[in-house]
Amino acid sequence: MEASQVGLERAAPGAAGWRRLIGAPALFAYAGAALVAGLLLAFWYAPVDASSMGFSQKIFYYHAPIAETALVAFGVAFVAGILYLRSGDLRYDRLGMVAVRLGLLFSLLVMGTGMIWGKAAWGAWWAWEPRLTTFLIACLLYAGYFVLRSMVDEESRRASYAAVLAIVAFIDVPITFFATRFLPEGLHPVVIRAGGSGMEGSMLLSFLVSMLGMTLLLVAMIRLEYAAELLKDEIDDLKTTLWEVGQ
Amino acid sequence: MSATVQFAAIVRKDLIRELRTREVLVSVFLFVMLSLVVFHYAFASEESDLTFFTGGMLWVTFLFGALLGLNRSFAQEKDEGCLDGLLLCPVDRVTIFLAKTAANLVLLLAIQVVAVPVFTLFFVERSYVGDLPLLVLVVLLADLGICALGTLLATISMNSRARDLLLPVLFLPLIVPVLIAATSATTAVFAGDTGLGELAGRLVFLAAFDAVFLVAAYGTYDFAIGE
Repeated sequence: MEASQVGLERAAPGAAGWRRLIGAPALFAYAGAALVAGLLLAFWYAPVDASSMGFSQKIFYYHAPIAETALVAFGVAFVAGILYLRSGDLRYDRLGMVAVRLGLLFSLLVMGTGMIWGKAAWGAWWAWEPRLTTFLIACLLYAGYFVLRSMVDEESRRASYAAVLAIVAFIDVPITFFATRFLPEGLHPVVIRAGGSGMEGSMLLSFLVSMLGMTLLLVAMIRLEYAAELLKDEIDDLKTTLWEVGQ
Repeated sequence: MSATVQFAAIVRKDLIRELRTREVLVSVFLFVMLSLVVFHYAFASEESDLTFFTGGMLWVTFLFGALLGLNRSFAQEKDEGCLDGLLLCPVDRVTIFLAKTAANLVLLLAIQVVAVPVFTLFFVERSYVGDLPLLVLVVLLADLGICALGTLLATISMNSRARDLLLPVLFLPLIVPVLIAATSATTAVFAGDTGLGELAGRLVFLAAFDAVFLVAAYGTYDFAIGE
């Protein structure tokens, strides 16, 4: 427990620093502006998709950026995991936890929007399409991350295990995606690749604006939640101190 | 003592322990056999050919069997205070990981040596003697991945409150790539669909998975097993 308390004390000035930053609200504003702009561009600037997708392709401007953002969040957790194991600084554990939580949220949104798109494109809510399947497995995997956290009581041990899992999981996700290519062909409908080289300039611009907005949203949310976690730790510390003084 | 001697000593200890009690071997073997019988009734049908499902049936069975064994491999150590002794020894943590992985691998292979022929007798109609080396290679590569990742995660879940519950929750989603590749490769062997191009891709994939997770476990095992 000694080590963890030292870690939290070191976190205190950092926490004050984060709070002083007005970064999060500003980032939320930029993200909101970019997302609204992306929406407007997607519907009024980008042309209706020429392939059989037609109008339903519009969801791509939200679906794909959410997917990218989810992966970015898991990547943040991966890096935070490595940094925690190297330094033992509990702030990295909090960062990793916040990143996984948001990554999980974004993954659920990926599956939601993916299913809506799937219904429009293939006439079925679920089709075991490789990318959607990968996100399903990622969701289950990162849900396990929180089961793990809830089952280990000791602070530093929980942080170490969570970091190991965040590292292993992030390595596993692309491998899973690759493996889904081995599944027999013909079981799922042919995926229409909206991305790739076939994208027109106006489509690409709309997509990039949405992606920027979604990434900014993630950064803003991570900052806010991370600051909140550090505050929680600070409150816990203060409570402990009060309790000790009272004794 | 060199790392090799330490490695051999830990593997030997685990295997002797298992041979004296036969807890894991007997119960996991029975579990595997029972699963096959359950599969027979679950998929029983007069006209349908089960060949397409054989790989999946085999690997689902092995995966759950391995889970049972992995849980036990650290439960005994932990419950009987053996692990503390092991950690007090001047042994590199990574040597413990490799030895535990090897011991789990040997146990899994011992079960498979009996289970695969029985499975073949029950469900496979084609004689695949000519493709046997391919099957052995698939089994070895998949087992190594299962045992390396499984040992790392069993070490983590051993120190949690409800270890028997935690291991499957962590292990199954992570092992999905191995399940997919091993299943399709095994089905291909049983169905006689052994075009080298397709199968080679799966074998390389399994080998790459093993390499990646051995390295990942090597790098993180110190933190998984604790002080």
